[in-house]
This record gives sequence, structure tokens and C-alpha cells, in this order.
Amino acid sequence: MGIIHLIIYKERGQLLPNLKASGWIEVEGRDAIYKEFLFKDFNQAFGFMTRVALQSEKMDHHPEWFNVYNKVHITLSTHDCGGLSHRDVALADFIEQVVPF
Amino acid sequence: PCSQLTCLQQELLQALLSSGLNKHTILEALGEIEAFRAKPGESEEGDGVEPRIGEEESSEDGEEFEPPIFKELEALCPEEAAQQRAMVDHLLQEDPWHVAKVIKCYMQQHNLPQREVVDATGLNQSHLSQHLNKGTPMKNQKRAALYTWYVQKQGEITQQFTNASRGILGEEPNDEMTSKKVRRNRFKWGPASQQILFQAYERQKNPSKEEREVLVEDCNRAECIQRGVSPSQVQGLGSNLVTEVRVYNWFANRRKEEAFRHKLAMDSYSGQPAHNTPQGTGHSGHNLQASPPHGEYSREETQWSSFVIVQSPSPTGLQPSHTLMVSDSKEVTLGSLPPVSTLTALHGLSSPTAQPQTQTPGLIMASLPSIMTISPGDSSLVIGLASSQAQNVPVINTVASSLTTLQPVPFQQHLTSAHQQQVMPPFQSNMTQGSFMTSLQPAHVYNHKSELLQDIPNSLFTQTMVITETGQLGAFTNLTAVKQVRITSPTPVGQLSSSDSLQHLDSGPSVSAPSSSLVMYLTSQSIDSHPHLLSPSAFIPTQIASPTQ
Repeated sequence: MGIIHLIIYKERGQLLPNLKASGWIEVEGRDAIYKEFLFKDFNQAFGFMTRVALQSEKMDHHPEWFNVYNKVHITLSTHDCGGLSHRDVALADFIEQVVPF
Repeated sequence: PCSQLTCLQQELLQALLSSGLNKHTILEALGEIEAFRAKPGESEEGDGVEPRIGEEESSEDGEEFEPPIFKELEALCPEEAAQQRAMVDHLLQEDPWHVAKVIKCYMQQHNLPQREVVDATGLNQSHLSQHLNKGTPMKNQKRAALYTWYVQKQGEITQQFTNASRGILGEEPNDEMTSKKVRRNRFKWGPASQQILFQAYERQKNPSKEEREVLVEDCNRAECIQRGVSPSQVQGLGSNLVTEVRVYNWFANRRKEEAFRHKLAMDSYSGQPAHNTPQGTGHSGHNLQASPPHGEYSREETQWSSFVIVQSPSPTGLQPSHTLMVSDSKEVTLGSLPPVSTLTALHGLSSPTAQPQTQTPGLIMASLPSIMTISPGDSSLVIGLASSQAQNVPVINTVASSLTTLQPVPFQQHLTSAHQQQVMPPFQSNMTQGSFMTSLQPAHVYNHKSELLQDIPNSLFTQTMVITETGQLGAFTNLTAVKQVRITSPTPVGQLSSSDSLQHLDSGPSVSAPSSSLVMYLTSQSIDSHPHLLSPSAFIPTQIASPTQ
């Protein structure tokens, strides 16, 4: 999808605080954001992952994640630019929308 | 919750539903999947739909729209696909009108039909045409489809030419993803080839097979040059490759046309009452009426169309496009259609003793964008019209509907040679509205009326006759050296719409409706005796594009 750029410094000040308020944290040692999710059971967790997966396919941007039973750990970063890009932010926003409260 | 499903299944279904699929789509997909399962060995089609991230379009409807063009992305290897997407992205950032011009120019250069784009992109042909020719806005997703096709087509054509140069007889890349056979585009004569053919026709109307073979080579070479490739890569022309059969047909059709015109001339000469066929409905805005040279005015229905296309040099350095316009008037009316199915050429009357009775000059416009040659002493002209759509004969086709591009160099040469031959014998009265020769300006055609004629170098306008429909008059702002002679139908109407900067020699009433009058511009011609006559000295008519598409 064209050239993917890192989020420039100025933009980070606008975009990241919202995500951080939702619980995303910046990873040490790499330019990425991370969050852990806990669900009621495996089904709910995997249903959530399915939604995220479908959206990832549409966006052509996939998360790094780990799942054990009802836990999902997601790390978002963009390989092509070696750090955070708008795609990560977009996917994070989507994830926040989809998480069942 | 449904009791027949496990919790996970329900979650999955809910995930699918919330991803934008509706029940109907899911059910259809299930049907297909089951069909696939019934046939082992079928590979499922990857549906790599990739809406743009930045656009934030709700993809619910976008998904449905996905044109087949996007499926092809999956067929490419990832690097190429990424490259193409990058180029498409870049184009989307550019000014849409600018990109439209680029694409249109490319299509003209390679003689690509709009139909092919429509098939590949799912765009509406009318919308596409308006976007390319007039800059009608197009939504981003649709432009993405168009640009994707363009980028891919460039790759295809490059591939074709590369294969051709290596002698690989590869099949044309599939531009249809469905199982129906690849539909090869209909062959279309390019302007360069037509030029060559008309010249050959002047020399010899019935060439032998050897001569035709020579013409085949010449034409293909010219077409390659027009596309900017080496003449040896002829196979890259694809569906527009000139073959001996096509040359044979072209000559046969021209001979038939001439015979038909002769027949009409005979009819007129013997004083048969001429009834005018109404203009075809397909081209409402491009039929001009001309009044006969003498006092007798033709009826309203008599029509004579001519097209003038003017091209101004493209500021972006795009391939200059040249169009030729030809219009010819014969002192006959068309009572019936000539037996040709393709575009026909115009011939001036060979004998100047045709009836002074002014019948409606019927024009058969040819699609030939080449310069007419007039042999001194013989007032017959072969005129081709850069029109793309052959219709019924009385229907004058819109020249502007297809403007072809040519390399500037061959054109200049042709220009000068044609100029020399443009000495026309004094017209008899009945020939006054006769042949016009048009020359090509090495310029790019813009369909915006305001842009027309802006950059025409005045040096070429030593004697310029421009025939156009009155609707185009706004474009004639730069023809300072041009006098205007107006030939109007006996029932003039209204005011000239945009003739502010035009000089009127004739102070008669202006004409408004394009279809009702012919406006002609002459430079420094004395038209004293017959205000409606065009004096026959040499001139280089230019062409004005009429927006049609």
C-alpha cells in the first residue's frame, strides 16, 4: 500500500496518548505498543481474535500476538518501517472498539 | 444464543457478522465452499481485497464493489504487487485531472478501447469517459481501480513488447479473470497507419498483395514508433497489429466509399431531388449545417458536419496528439447509406462541373487523421477524419471522440509536405464549401473549451480555415489572424454564444445551436463576391476538439 512511514514525532504526541489511556504501553527496546487482554473464556478470547484477524486481513496489517486460553497479548508494530505506523494506530483503535466490555 | 452451536462457533459467527458480512453473503459463501469441497483439487480463490487504510471508508459497500482488477493483484508476486500498489497510491495523491490526462493520452497512444477498462475495473463507461475527457470527479476507490488497471496495463504492454523483442510468442496476459475466454480487443486503425494508407491510396487504389505486405510493414513500424518502442517489437501491438488482411479490407472499403460517393454525385448531377437524411441521433452536438454557396439555401435538415480539432502543446510534455480533421462537402445529399461499415474517407468532387444547385453537402467522415493531399489541378481530396465511431454516413462523427497521438517528428514532415500540396484550384461555386485540409498540430488536445486553441502557434496559421460547430466558438479566442466567415443556414437563430473575441466579417445574425449553422474562419481570404464561399488558396485548417465523450 505504498510507502509506510513511521509516525513522526509530532504526531505521536497526538495519537499515542489516547491509546495509552486505553491501556497500551510502549515496549522497551523497540518501537511498538503492547496490551494484554483477559476474557471470560477461550471462546470469547478466540472470537475476539477472529474479529481482529478479519480486520487485519482487510488492512493487510497483522499483529504479533499470543494466546493462552482466555488471555491474549498483542504487540503492534510495522515491519516495513521498523516501528509504529498509522496502521498500528488504526488496528489498535479497532481492537479497542471490538473488545467486549 | 443458538443451542445448536458451540460457544466458539457462535463467537466466530458473531465475528464474521461484525466484520462486515451480512447473512446473505455468508450464506452464499457457504454455498460456494460446499461446492468447492465437492470438487477436490480446486484451489480456492484468494480474495485479497485491500481497501486503503488512510481512507477510512466503510468497507461494507466497498467489498461488494470490488472490481475484478483487484483480484489480479493476488496473482502477482508480492514484490510486484507492492510496487504496483505503491504506484497507485502515488497516483491517488496527484491531481486527478492531471492523471486522467496522462491515462487518456496513454490509451490513445496504444489505441486501447474504453471497453477494456470498463471490463477490468467495473467502472461505468460513461463515468469513465467523462472523467478522462472532462475531469468529472471520481471517487477515490474508483480512481484506485482505474489507476490499478493503468499500472497493470503498462506492465502488460511492456511485457508484450519485451516478449516480442525476444521472440517469445506468449499469449496476451489475461485481462479477464472469469472463465470465459479472453476477449481480444477489436482492431482499430491508428492515425499513423491511416496516414500511410491514405497516401498509398492516392497512388494506387488497388494494391497488389506484395504492395499490401509492404504497407503492413510500414504501418506496424509507424505504430511502434508512435508507442515509443522499437519497430522490431511488432508483436507487442497485440490486438492492434496490422495484418495484410486488414490492409486489404481497408482498401476495399475505401474503394466502396468512393464508388458510393460517385454514385451520389451522379444522382445529384442528374438532378434527382435530394432528400436529406436526418443526422443520426447518436451525435447530437456535432452536426453542422452549412448553407450552400449560392443563394439557394438548403433546408434545415441538410447537414454538413465537419470537425476541427485543435491541439495545443501539452505543458506536461506528454505525447503530442495529433488529429486530423477532414470535412468535405459534396454537392449531393445522401439519400441512403453507403455500403461501408467502417469509417469512410471523404473525397472532393473530381469534376468541378458539378451542379451549382446547392444540395446539402453530405459528408462522410472518415476516421483518418491524416493530412489530405490535393493534387494540383485536381480538386479531389482525400480527407480523413479522426473519428473513432463510424456511424451511418450522414452522421458526421465526432472527431474528438478519439484523438490519436503521434510522434511529432513524422508529423512535422508531413505537415510541410502537405502544405506544399495544399494549393487548391479555384473553386467553382459548388465546390466552395469543399475540401478542407487539416493539418496536425503537434499538440495535446484538451476538451475543455476554454483551453482549446490557446497554444496554437500562429505561425502555422498563415491561412487557416477552421470549421467548427458554433458551440466551440469560445475556443477561437486566439485566432487573431483569422477572419471569420459565417455560413449560416437560412434560419439563423439566436446569438453566437461565445464569440466575443471573434471578428465578424459578416454581421448577420449569430447562430447559437451547434446543429444549425456552420461557422467558418478564413484568414486573409477575399470572400467578397461570395460571402459564403471559401476561397481556395492554400490553407491549413486546424482542428478543434469537440468534447464528446
